[in-house]
Amino acid sequence: MADDDDVKEYRWETGYEKTWEAIQEDDQGNLEASVAEIIQRAKRKAQMERKGHTRLGMMRHMYIILDASEAMHDQDLKPTRQLCTLKLMEGFVEEFLYENPLSQLGFILSRNKRAEKITELSGNYKKQLEVLKSNFGQPNSCSGEPSLQNALELALSSLKHMPSHAIREVLVIMGSLTTCDPGDINITIQKLKTASIRASLIGLSADVRLCKSLCMTTGGDYGVVLDDVHFKHLLSTHALPPQAAAEHSSSALVKMGFPHHAPTDNKTSYLAMCMCHLDSEEGSKLDGGGYLCPQCRSKYCELPAECKVCGLTLVSAPHLARSYHHLFPVQPFTLIPIDQNRTPSCFGCRVQFKTIDKQVYKCEKCCEVFCLDCDMFIHDTLHTCPGCSTNQQTYQTLSSES
Amino acid sequence: MAVYGGAERSLLVIIFDVHPCQKIITNHQHRFHQVLEAVIAFSNGHLLMKPDNRLAIIGCHSGASDYIFSDKDYAVVPTGINDGQYELFAHVEKCIRKNIKQFLSKMSNNLPAGESLLAGACGMGLCYIQRMKRELPIGDKMNSRILVLTGSNDSASQYMNYMNVFFTAQKENVVMDVCTLEHDQGLLQQGCDITGGAYLKTPQQQGLLQYLMWVFLPEPPLRKKLVLPPPVKVDYRAACFCHRQLIDIGYVCSICLSIFCKFSPICTTCHALFKTPGPPPSKPKKKKPKM
Repeated sequence: MADDDDVKEYRWETGYEKTWEAIQEDDQGNLEASVAEIIQRAKRKAQMERKGHTRLGMMRHMYIILDASEAMHDQDLKPTRQLCTLKLMEGFVEEFLYENPLSQLGFILSRNKRAEKITELSGNYKKQLEVLKSNFGQPNSCSGEPSLQNALELALSSLKHMPSHAIREVLVIMGSLTTCDPGDINITIQKLKTASIRASLIGLSADVRLCKSLCMTTGGDYGVVLDDVHFKHLLSTHALPPQAAAEHSSSALVKMGFPHHAPTDNKTSYLAMCMCHLDSEEGSKLDGGGYLCPQCRSKYCELPAECKVCGLTLVSAPHLARSYHHLFPVQPFTLIPIDQNRTPSCFGCRVQFKTIDKQVYKCEKCCEVFCLDCDMFIHDTLHTCPGCSTNQQTYQTLSSES
Repeated sequence: MAVYGGAERSLLVIIFDVHPCQKIITNHQHRFHQVLEAVIAFSNGHLLMKPDNRLAIIGCHSGASDYIFSDKDYAVVPTGINDGQYELFAHVEKCIRKNIKQFLSKMSNNLPAGESLLAGACGMGLCYIQRMKRELPIGDKMNSRILVLTGSNDSASQYMNYMNVFFTAQKENVVMDVCTLEHDQGLLQQGCDITGGAYLKTPQQQGLLQYLMWVFLPEPPLRKKLVLPPPVKVDYRAACFCHRQLIDIGYVCSICLSIFCKFSPICTTCHALFKTPGPPPSKPKKKKPKM
């Protein structure tokens, strides 16, 4: 598999592996249990790797470059590469903006040897997807050859001007094996590197040396898809915030406002025009609700927004809170064989442990014991150990973690 | 019960705050009994709505949280002394009384000081809901909700845990209802707003059961058709990481999104060093040379 980049060798260069020996039949001669165990182990391994980053790049600015060339009509991904990419993009954009509040996305299409920016960077996924569908989803929207260099230059020209604390990224989805460039692409790659833009690439057909060197020089990830499931998996690795590189220390404290709803009791209620729709064609309505900028009291009907009067970034606290679990992850639980376990049932869901389960999972901090399902749920979704958070000594993860 | 195969059942998880420092309990001797009676009657009311409805109750105080009633307690023991009352109801009542007595007597004298850890109890509730969803027969549907019943004070120290719980509930389509008996709870209000639940601060203690039956008994899909208290205006201000105080304007670290109420040259969470402060530059710039 080509995604073992850090090993720097291809599968065919490694020794002879007997992959089938990892799978063993159980007593009834079934393979399922063994396969499930392998999947389970892989999932836990992926979880373990995620731990311990406190320095994450949270304010991400990413351009997604989509190949819209003839090669996207290929039917190796069902129904076609183009439609499969579009469908996976829908999920990805939503997930990306959910996991990275305050981050921004934009799309660039590359076709007919040219690159074209279809959306500017923004955090509104509904608008993005609408434009993407009308520009990329049509039967005639893929034609000609792609130009990687033109697309990268275009992304570079707008990412250059982002504030220094922003994480700049480019994600390329490349279906074609060739690119039609006006000049030397290596110069463009060097330019990306000096602008500290991280370029990642997902290839839909085969491993290309140039693409690989692009990713390696700029510090991105390179992957080639095996099938649509693998494609989705590769995409989802880009949805999680990357670890901020140590030398990328251009961090800044950004001043932000946390508006509350305008009061609507009879005494204090007043009507105001919202500032966000002033410029739009339909104009803003005189209305009572909305959010007030805590600095200048101008009104906005949606968050997040940048105040047009005083320039303050307005966000709601839950927006930020959505990403805190990346910073304070639940430590991985330790495995305990079932026969050493003293508690009769799972602390979370109260399921009775049975001897078939083989293993139970113990939180090192609060010493409560959980079942496998709760272990997965707590680490993947909940991000709070119910044991720790019901214990007066351990519930404040904030202060004790760092 | 198979007759109702197509019907949607609903699972209610009640988080019952039994912290002994709640004023409402300490002020009047019999108040706790009243609240308990109300919870029991409300629980039975929920089970009465549909034969397939499910119930769990989690008791919670500053030291521990435990299940008062869960699927383990469903085995009805026919007693024959319940005067024609539906046996399940009598059983539920008995179970709740027995278990809450056990839970309270375990509380012991050296209860750790501090607030009730409701966020953790909600987390347990979510785990339980996940399991019930997994164990659901194929083809059945279930909507689940959590009702938090508390008389405790508002505090921001469980902020992160609450937020994680709210977003998980939102993701899993679990509605969070909150009924506070005494103080307004800003954080829980946010939870109701995020998950689309109802929030009520009972204006009167005596009528608790009535409020519960009126606002919290109908399933969320039904609520649109009822006349309920209007949604509250939610205070979405953030709590700063340094003092845990609610702030209007704050500074956010670009690396880890930690919130601070004052400019500081180093982030306490991710240890990032900040070079240039935001728009109001004069003060922090003077600080820099001292470093």
